[in-house]
Amino acid sequence: MSKKAVLSPEQLTDLASELDTLRATVAADIGERDAVHIRTQVRNARVSGATGRGLLMFGFDPITWVLGVIALAHAKILENMEIGHNVLHGQYDWMNDETLNSQNYEWDIVCHSSHWRRTHNFEHHSNTNILGVDDDYGYGLLRLTGAQKWTWRTLLQPIWYALLAIYFQWGVAIQDLKLGRWAKGRMKKGELAERAAPFLRKARGQLFKDYVLFPLIAFWNIPRVLLGNAAANLIRSLWTNAIIFCGHFTEQAHVFTKAESTDETRGQWYLRQIQGSSNLEGGRWFYLMTGHLSHQIEHHLFPDIPAPRYPEIAPQVRAICAKYGIHYNAAGFWKQYGSVLWRILKYAFPVERRVRVRQAEGVLA
Amino acid sequence: MSAVLAPKRIFDFASLLRSPALHPLNDAAAWDSMLSAVNPMWSTRGIPARVVEIVDETADTKTFVLKPKGNWPGYRAGQHVVVEVEINGRRVHRSFSLSSNPASGDLLRVTVKLHPQALVGGYLHSQLQVGDVLNLSAPAGGFSAPMADEPVLMLSAGSGITPLMSILRELRARKHASPIVFVHSCRTRDDFIFARELEALAAEWSVLDLRVHFSAERGRLDATAIRALVPGFAGFRTLVCGPEAFTACVEDLYREAGVPERVRSESYSGRVLPRSLAADALHTVICTNTEQTFTARGDRGLLVEAERAGMKPKHGCRIGICKTCQCLKKSGTVENLRTGEISSEANELIQLCVSVARSPIELAL
Repeated sequence: MSKKAVLSPEQLTDLASELDTLRATVAADIGERDAVHIRTQVRNARVSGATGRGLLMFGFDPITWVLGVIALAHAKILENMEIGHNVLHGQYDWMNDETLNSQNYEWDIVCHSSHWRRTHNFEHHSNTNILGVDDDYGYGLLRLTGAQKWTWRTLLQPIWYALLAIYFQWGVAIQDLKLGRWAKGRMKKGELAERAAPFLRKARGQLFKDYVLFPLIAFWNIPRVLLGNAAANLIRSLWTNAIIFCGHFTEQAHVFTKAESTDETRGQWYLRQIQGSSNLEGGRWFYLMTGHLSHQIEHHLFPDIPAPRYPEIAPQVRAICAKYGIHYNAAGFWKQYGSVLWRILKYAFPVERRVRVRQAEGVLA
Repeated sequence: MSAVLAPKRIFDFASLLRSPALHPLNDAAAWDSMLSAVNPMWSTRGIPARVVEIVDETADTKTFVLKPKGNWPGYRAGQHVVVEVEINGRRVHRSFSLSSNPASGDLLRVTVKLHPQALVGGYLHSQLQVGDVLNLSAPAGGFSAPMADEPVLMLSAGSGITPLMSILRELRARKHASPIVFVHSCRTRDDFIFARELEALAAEWSVLDLRVHFSAERGRLDATAIRALVPGFAGFRTLVCGPEAFTACVEDLYREAGVPERVRSESYSGRVLPRSLAADALHTVICTNTEQTFTARGDRGLLVEAERAGMKPKHGCRIGICKTCQCLKKSGTVENLRTGEISSEANELIQLCVSVARSPIELAL
């Protein structure tokens, strides 16, 4: 594993100012092109979704079923990744289009947008990879570094992970309920019910749509539509989970302690975002299907810049990293995802337990 | 069980029909974008209006003749509309007075004088073509023609002539019989908007007494000049429209004469607020939703200042990343300390945590 870069305060100031300048250059160029992009993607997702649902409803043969599932899964992935995630970050707020505004947008997933804005935009993006603070690190379920506690239950984590990947949208949806706090008696039942209300309402609607309404509309084809919708949801879950896990849990992605990240300067914050994130290399269509989370590093540096700009500025970010000797973590999908799966397997066993002890004693990794 | 308990509503049909669970079937935004792609006049957003003619009034003033869609509710002479145009991917809104007479058919006339650096005006002048479609809001504003047949004095400066032209056209259609004195001030003969029409009207309609004041020859139209032009001004029902300095001067004149109730004014340019880049400058912040007011120093974030004043705006990371504290700035200038961006347009979204006041501001908070 590459070592964390150590930069002098002067270097950190320079790093921050170089990245700020880069951001300002891109920000000044945002306009028509970005608006056309997001509107085109919204249209593509709608057309693809309608096509998929149409094929599932009106087809009778296995081929149209498979095509219908692919079209619907494509629509759901596009809507969640390239549209929902990025719109909720406020990347298109400047357009003054109420349907693409971060505070109004509600995405097609069981997770309520208000919960997502808190757990993801705020908690995860400001505290990226700080153990014990960034709940996205292992989702309170997985041990991915020696600095996390090992128990006998950890041995079963490959199974927990498989379940999380299959039901990923549910995992994301209940994250803000903080069930752990409730289980430990640190949250009253009333508060939990209040927190859960938007999620339950949303989940009910989503289940109703995919598993009651659309199958019923095609009453002659109920099982076909039901299974097709379930398959599309499953494909989306597996895909989004794989992409998101590649963002921060690859072999080279670092973790940080609370002590390391208190009173960070802007340069230190940028540095942590780079070292805690990892990129995926691929083609344009692949980038689009990942919602440009293929460029997790650029996204974490500038979460509110329209995502298609990330691949464009990636060479400059890479050059800045090289200049300061910061490892720029980028590789193909299978290499990165393979290293994530390996980490899940490796840390299921009680390895590197001394790291945690050393950290508790104040010796930083 | 108590009989007082109202029966719980299990099935709310109206809210189900609006529920996103039925998307895409009831996705209003999707239907709207589909309809407007076929024909922009079919859009269900706001009131689409097609440009049917563009008239050059003077070298820097054009009249756009618009045909609105059937959902246009009608208007009173003197009212204004908010015009929405998309400039470089961003929807921008600007308010313009209507210069047409409501009784003369269903075409609207919007007369726009080009001011240097005017974003929307500049766009309308240079980009808009016959056949294009604009989006309008419903008309608004309480500036209107007097109901009674009494002596009327109209005072206009520059493009302030537009709503007065609308009112004059209505008075003419209503066969107003008491004297009307119309005083218009502009720089030179070449800047006289509606010159030909007004002069023709004055020639054939004995009620109308037109007095034009060219400021390049005779100086600014101020209180002294008005006294000289219309010695009996206090006896007229008076309507005044023009830049804020002009309307304020007329209001003062009537206040001094002891008849402030005889004058109604409309100013078209927003107040130019004094800006200050000084860190220790103090600016007043008006929160329109909570009706609270606080003072913000030029070197302290608006979020901190609001909290010091006892308010509790929602917030997250406090470093400009998560956008939880994003809020609509209705007017005034702020600087984003994170990006250095200056926002002085009306109705822009700002992040309270990293924005500092650079002028008095109004927030939708």
